[in-house]
Amino acid sequence: MVEVVALYLGCGLAALVISGIIVEAVGADWSTVGGALLDGSVRKPGRWGGTIGVTVPLAMVAIGTIVSTKVGLVNIGQEGQLLVGAALATFASTRVPGPGPVVLVIILLAGVAGGAIWSGLAGGLRYWRKVPEVLTTLLLVSVASNLVGYGLKKPWLLLDAEAKRGNRNLVSEQLPPDTRMPRITLFGNEFTISAFLAIAVILLVGWMLSRTLWGYRLTVVGHNRRVARRFGISESVQGMVAMLASGGFAGLAGALMLTGGDFANYRLVSGFSVSIGWVGLLVALVANNRALAVIPVAFVFASLRTGSGFLASTGIERRVTDVVQGLIVLALLLPPAIMFIRERRRALAAAGSRV
Amino acid sequence: MSKRFGAVAACDAVDIEIHRGEIHGILGENGAGKSTLMKMLIGLVVPDSGSILVDGASVRITDPVAAASLGIGMVHQHFSLVEALTVWENVALGDTGRLSRSGVRDAVGDLSDRYGLRIDPDALVADLPVGLRQRVEILKCLRREPEILIFDEPTSVLTPEESDDLFRSLRGVVEQEGRSVALVSHKLTEMLDVTDRVTIMRNGSVVERFVTTEVDAGMLATAMVGRDVRLRSAQEMSQSDTRERVVADGGGSLPVLEFRNVEVRESGGSLELDDLTFSLGTGEILGMAGVEGNGQRVIADLLSGLRNRSGGEILVNGSVVDVSQPGSAMDAGIAVIPEDRHDSGIVLEMTVAENLMLSDPSGMSSHGVIDGLRREKMAADLIERFAIMCTGPDAPMWTLSGGNQQRVVLAREIAAEPTVLVAAQPTRGLDVGAIEYMTDQLRQAAGSGVGILLISSELDEILELADRILVIYRGQVTGEMTRSEATREKIGRLMGGDIL
Repeated sequence: MVEVVALYLGCGLAALVISGIIVEAVGADWSTVGGALLDGSVRKPGRWGGTIGVTVPLAMVAIGTIVSTKVGLVNIGQEGQLLVGAALATFASTRVPGPGPVVLVIILLAGVAGGAIWSGLAGGLRYWRKVPEVLTTLLLVSVASNLVGYGLKKPWLLLDAEAKRGNRNLVSEQLPPDTRMPRITLFGNEFTISAFLAIAVILLVGWMLSRTLWGYRLTVVGHNRRVARRFGISESVQGMVAMLASGGFAGLAGALMLTGGDFANYRLVSGFSVSIGWVGLLVALVANNRALAVIPVAFVFASLRTGSGFLASTGIERRVTDVVQGLIVLALLLPPAIMFIRERRRALAAAGSRV
Repeated sequence: MSKRFGAVAACDAVDIEIHRGEIHGILGENGAGKSTLMKMLIGLVVPDSGSILVDGASVRITDPVAAASLGIGMVHQHFSLVEALTVWENVALGDTGRLSRSGVRDAVGDLSDRYGLRIDPDALVADLPVGLRQRVEILKCLRREPEILIFDEPTSVLTPEESDDLFRSLRGVVEQEGRSVALVSHKLTEMLDVTDRVTIMRNGSVVERFVTTEVDAGMLATAMVGRDVRLRSAQEMSQSDTRERVVADGGGSLPVLEFRNVEVRESGGSLELDDLTFSLGTGEILGMAGVEGNGQRVIADLLSGLRNRSGGEILVNGSVVDVSQPGSAMDAGIAVIPEDRHDSGIVLEMTVAENLMLSDPSGMSSHGVIDGLRREKMAADLIERFAIMCTGPDAPMWTLSGGNQQRVVLAREIAAEPTVLVAAQPTRGLDVGAIEYMTDQLRQAAGSGVGILLISSELDEILELADRILVIYRGQVTGEMTRSEATREKIGRLMGGDIL
C-alpha cells in the first residue's frame, strides 16, 4: 500500500516538475497556471458542481469498460457507443409523448439501448466471425460520428425542426424542461441527481462483479478461457453480455450528458461526445479496473477538464496546457503499469525458484 | 555454490565434485535445486556466491558461450531444434563463418560412429521421433568436444529401449574418451543403473553422497525424501492389497466409460486419435501407457470438453455423451486431473476457494448471489481433508506450490463424486511424498467405485496402480493386458510401436 502511494506521489511530482519547466520555458508562470486549474475545478464557488457534472459520464463509461475488460475483451469504442446512445436518447425525447419523469426514464433507457446496440455489433462480429473487437469498436467510432452527423442534418431524425435562428448550426431540439434531469444544490454547488445514480450504479456493478455468480463466471472467462470451457461456462454468452453492458453504460453516459444539460444545454450537437468516451477509457485504466477507484479517478480527470476552462483566461497558449494535461495523465497511468510489472516479476521469481 | 530467488534459497552452499571419466548422478525431487545448480554451471544463472573450478583453476561462467569455451556442454530436457531443417543443418546452428555443408555432414557422421549414435545427417528433424531428436541434441553438444556433459532429465521423453541406448552411448563417451557426465534426474532406477557416484540434494542442499555400488533404491529414496519411504514391488502390492475392487469383466457389468471408434482429426488433417476403442469398468484403474505425444493429451482434452471428435462415440454408463458441448462431460460425471493444470485445471489469479468452487458454483450460491460463508466452509473442509498447504481459503492460487495446486485439483474433482476420473500424468513434477499421496488417493477413489483412467508416460506409475494396461501409440490402442501379464519389456516395445 505504501508502495502504491509513493509511486503515485513520485510520478505526480515528476509530472509537475516537467510541466513547470515547460510552462516557464514558454514564458508563463507556473503558479498562475496551477492556480487557474484549481480555481476552475474546485476552488471557485460553484465549480464543484460543474466538475461533478463531468465526473458522472466519465465514471459511467469507466465502469462499463471495467466489465468488458474483466471478461477479457478490449472495448475501445466507448466514444462511439456514447454518441449513439446520446443520439437515440435525443430521438426518443422528441418522439415519445407522456409525462416528464416517464419520458426522462425512457430517454435514459434509449441511451442504454443505443450504446448496447453499438457495442453489440462489435461483440457479434467477434463471437460469430472472430473479428477482433479492438478493431471493430475503434472503427465503429468514426461510423457513429458520421451517422450522428448525418442525423443532425435531417429534421426527421435529429435536427431541430424549428431552426428559427436560420444559422448553419446543426443542433437538435432542446429537451423540454420536464424531461431534464432534476438538479439539487449542496453546499453552494449545483449538480444533477445523476451523481447519486452514478454512485449507486458503480457500487452495484462492483458488488455484482465480486459477489454474484454472473461476476464469477465472467471473471473465470477473463482469466482462463479453457478452464471456463471445461466447467461449462460459455465464453460467447459471458462475452456478449459483458459487451452489451459495456456499450450500454457508455450509451447511458451519453443520455446523462444530454439530460444533465452541462454539455450543450440539453441539445445534441455535432461533436457532442467531446472525448468523454476516450477519457472514460483512461479512467478505467488508471483505476486499475477496480470499481471503487473509479469515482475518485473520474473526479481527477473531470477536474482537469473543468480547470482547463479557466486556463484560457490566463492567456497561456492552449497547447501548453494540453501538454500539461497529458503529463498529468501519464503520471496517473504509470504507477499501475509499474505495479503490474513488479507483481509479474515477483510471481515469476516465486515460480522460478521452485525449479 | 549459493543462489536465492527472492526469499527462497534454491541452492544453499552446495559443494559438488565431478571426476574425470565418471557418470555422476545428481538426484533430488522437484525443487531440490539440481536444475538451478546445473544452470549455474552452464551460465544460464549467475550464482550469488561460491566458486567454480575447472581442472583446479577458478573460473567465472557468465553465459553459455563462456561455459562452452571451458568445455562444459548441456543437453536440455526441452529441445531447441528447428523442425523444418535437417539434422546437419540443426547441428550447424550457431556456427560462425562460412557454412560448409560437407564439413558439417562429415562431422556428424564422424560423431555418430565414435559414439554409436546412428543418425542420418540429411533426415528432416520434423520426421524424427523423439529419441532420435534427442540424439541430434546430443550431437550438437558433443561437437563442441565438451569435457563435461550435463544431461537434464534425459529420459522423460524416451521409451525404455531408447533410454538404454542413450546410457550405453554415455558409457562409451565416458570410458573411451575420459569425459565426464553429470546426469540430473529424479529417477532412482536410472541412478542405480547408470551412475558411478550419486549426489543427493534436498531443499537446496546436498544431503548425501554415495558411491552407486554401495547403495540400493531404498537408501536413495530415504535420502531424497528424508524419511522412510515404502517402495512397493508388484508382489508386495498384491499381498498388502486387501481392498475389494470390482474389475470390469467385459461381459457383465456396464462399463462406466467407453470409447467406440473415436476419431479426432487435427486442423492439419492428420488423425490424432484413430479408431480408438476401449472400456473402463466400475472401480477399475485402467492404465494408458505410452510415450508422450501419441494421443494422450487429446483424450484428456476430449473428456474435458476442450476438443471435438470427428467420429465415433463416447459413452458414460451406457449413454452417449456429446463432449463437444462445454460442461457436458462434467455433467455426465467425468472428472479430470489435467496434464497441465495451468492450462485447464486451475486459475492462478483466483483464490483457493474460488478454484474449488469451479465445478459447482451454483451450489455455493442462492438466487445468483454467492454465499461467501458456504464457500469458505466448503473450502476449509476440502483443505483439511486433502491436507492442502496454504494460508487459507482466500490464498491466491499462485502462492501454492505445484504439489499443493495439484491437491486442489484432486480435491475438487473427487469432491464432485464423479463416475469416471481421468488422471493425466497426475504425479508429474511432484516429489516422492506427494506422489505417494496421489497414488493413495487414486486407489481410494477406485475403491469407492470410481473408474479411473490413468494416462501416464511413467511406467512405474502404471505398473504400481493399474489393474489393466493399455498401450497407446499414434492414436491407437496397440496392446492390452492385465497387470499380471504385464512386463516392462512388453510395454516398452508396444510403446515404441512394435506390434506384439
